[in-house]
Amino acid sequence: MGIIKTDRLVFEYTRRDEENQIEEVMRAIDGVSLDIKEGQFVAILGRNGSGKSTLAKHMNALLFPTDGVIWVGEKDTRKEENLWDIRQTAGMVFQNPDNQIIATVVEEDVGFGPENMGVPSAEIWKRVQESLEAVGMTAYRKASPNHLSGGQKQRVAIAGVMAMRPRCIVLDEPTAMLDPNGRKEVIRTIRELNRAEGITVILITHYMEETVSADRIFVMDGGEIQMEGTPREIFSRVKELKALHLDVPQVTELGALLASGGLPVASGILTVKELVEELEKARESGARVSYTGASGDKRAEAVSLDKEPVLELREVTYKYGTGTPMEVKVLKGISFAVPKGQFLSIIGHTGSGKSTLIQHLNGLLKADSGDVLFHGESIYRDGYDKKALRGKVGLVFQYPEHQLFEEDVFTDVCFGPKNQGLSKEQAEERAKEALRLVGMDSSFYRRSPFELSGGQKRRAAIAGVLAMEPEVLILDEPTAGLDPGGRDEILDQVEKLHEEKGMAVVLVSHSMEDVARYAERLIVLDRGTIAYDGAPKEVFRHYRDLETMGLSAPQVTYLAEELRKIGFSLGGDITTVEEAKSAILREFAGAEGEEDAGTAGD
Amino acid sequence: MLRDITLGQYYPVASPVHRLDPRTKLMGTLVFLISLFVSDGWPCYLLATVFLAACIKISRVPIGFIFRGLKAVIFLLLFSVVFNIFLTDGDVLVRFWIFKITKQGLIQAGYMAIRLIYLIMGSSLMTFTTTPTSLTDGLERGLGFLKAVKVPVHEIAMMMSIALRFIPILTEEADKIMKAQMARGADFESGSLIKRAKSLIPLLVPLFISAFRRATDLAMAMEARCYHGGEGRTKMFPLKYAGRDAAAYLILAAYLGAVIALKVIF
Repeated sequence: MGIIKTDRLVFEYTRRDEENQIEEVMRAIDGVSLDIKEGQFVAILGRNGSGKSTLAKHMNALLFPTDGVIWVGEKDTRKEENLWDIRQTAGMVFQNPDNQIIATVVEEDVGFGPENMGVPSAEIWKRVQESLEAVGMTAYRKASPNHLSGGQKQRVAIAGVMAMRPRCIVLDEPTAMLDPNGRKEVIRTIRELNRAEGITVILITHYMEETVSADRIFVMDGGEIQMEGTPREIFSRVKELKALHLDVPQVTELGALLASGGLPVASGILTVKELVEELEKARESGARVSYTGASGDKRAEAVSLDKEPVLELREVTYKYGTGTPMEVKVLKGISFAVPKGQFLSIIGHTGSGKSTLIQHLNGLLKADSGDVLFHGESIYRDGYDKKALRGKVGLVFQYPEHQLFEEDVFTDVCFGPKNQGLSKEQAEERAKEALRLVGMDSSFYRRSPFELSGGQKRRAAIAGVLAMEPEVLILDEPTAGLDPGGRDEILDQVEKLHEEKGMAVVLVSHSMEDVARYAERLIVLDRGTIAYDGAPKEVFRHYRDLETMGLSAPQVTYLAEELRKIGFSLGGDITTVEEAKSAILREFAGAEGEEDAGTAGD
Repeated sequence: MLRDITLGQYYPVASPVHRLDPRTKLMGTLVFLISLFVSDGWPCYLLATVFLAACIKISRVPIGFIFRGLKAVIFLLLFSVVFNIFLTDGDVLVRFWIFKITKQGLIQAGYMAIRLIYLIMGSSLMTFTTTPTSLTDGLERGLGFLKAVKVPVHEIAMMMSIALRFIPILTEEADKIMKAQMARGADFESGSLIKRAKSLIPLLVPLFISAFRRATDLAMAMEARCYHGGEGRTKMFPLKYAGRDAAAYLILAAYLGAVIALKVIF
């Protein structure tokens, strides 16, 4: 028996109405049997609501099976006397870094578990020291958790679990709320713990790239285990994964596309290096394909700026904590214009000033110096109607579902238009249209926003801003915390709005893959200044510079670079999977193809 | 205004005041409060000023930080000053309509203001120099005798420390929700009192929901880390009095004695 074993595990959530009558029984886990060996790195993948978090909570005896058995460290969780043993055997790290840190100083928080277990003080000290070292947070032991980044907070949470000396750590979507660097930081830490300390790691996630180095992957959906195998076995089933709302790394997807295009590429490609090797082999073996497809190169090489600007920033500067010793210059002279109907993306490392910047666009923050113009008129003019401006420049904050407050979705969406002073009928008209735009039909109108799924809540919240009929729609990380399926849904809807309504879109994002796919123009913010401003293709040419700013380019851009090193010509800049596919296939398509590639690359 | 609440924020520097046992600091704050209320006449207040200034100096907390805590109570302060000015009987200095300002009123108001300001400054100094955890540890141990009469001292202390940890988080959250609703055209600043109270609904509902969500999460995280009440718990920093605490108690006793002496003499 492994360290964690389940036998036909079933768990049902029971919803009761006010009279305590059973209203609905939902089966979150439906007959899961698995066996996890000590020392392994296991990943459990699944979309939001697939039952993976419920399963994780069973491993820590936070939930108990409705039917079936789960043994943790060979102990049955249903026996009450095993409870504390089980929680010490399998430590648990949760999704939200803020909601699992109890103390106000890092070291005190790490000591919390051992304190509860009744470990003597001197021993607690030793454990705190060792755990902080293991996650590389020793330098912050006296710091307040409020001053740490998301990735650092998660490392503290991991240290807090390590201090309990568990044999196994269960991490329930530990990276869902982090930026890409925080994500890497956390994954590196847990891999290191697994390798160096031999701790069993169970990582629950919906990011496929985090599972590449796992020993074993389980894919869950609808409360059942749908797939099980090594990363290579799982990653070779691209189509099935997509059907389960999951996503594979760009190179895996590209490998599958190339194989179906006729190239001898093995299935289940995990890294850039592997795909490069495969293509090198294919070239040496003289593989040829017939490919007459378009260049796949729909995106412009440069940004057109001839449209009249809707919004314009001129030399905007902004400081936080003016007059205190902690004064920070967040924006240092930002100038750019948003032309009518443009899809603009702002990228930047956490702390580069993105969120501060977008709050200037609708006058929520006032610049210390410089000017913001809306249709050529300064919004800082005396008596300027800021409320009207906020209707025209719609701002969707990060996690917008946290601002829902009305009894039902429809009333909530009416809130914006009503504030604009519209009549009830007009407001309702607007709300209907906005909900249609985000793909929510009348069956949602009277439902409480709090009983919707994560993705639906977010769409309702976005509709709340759309109902004001903005000319410019600003979205701050609209896909944060969503699974890949939910992410695509939101971004496709935004793209549709942009195309159908001619709405200018400002998308703040951490995902280079997303901005490469959707944006016409990229602005790269670095420590309060604009580092680059241009078409995604232009900007990603500077990927080495981007790396020094804590950013990166899409994975396929790196692949193209590696391929060029070994003599592939690959015309044009490559920033999306489609572009990479057609460039590579053209390369293998022989003479006519080469010509094609030559012209496309100019 | 929410951002001005500095009470409950720790200022991390190393100083002799920071190193004192939290029980000593709690007692010190209590003694200082008592001294403010027994004080009468300027010599007493002068001594209190010197004492407070010395403590702040030794604590190495920037004075600006301590003053900032006053912003949150400015209304209370004005209120009590105005009341004292107008409602104290004595030698009338100015009289208009039904109001009169007396000499005693002015003095009384001045003293009241000083008392309140020092009270806030003194207690903020304590929270600035004591981590919430050790503060609650101090309370838990200092009030431990109440356990005998079935007061859940440990639970109260734990609740306090969690509240202190989440004050800044929820403050930030409130700020975020407020901005998000303003982006949807909400107006928190104008209109009648009733309208303004009503305009708080879009802020308060999401804030409470968020607080409940965080509470559920936190409870689960605590359980996962084997929290099961104060029973059988050990401490990473068991409270132990040191030599400097004895010295601090001596100074406190001397200070209180001096204040009483000054009150009697003048």
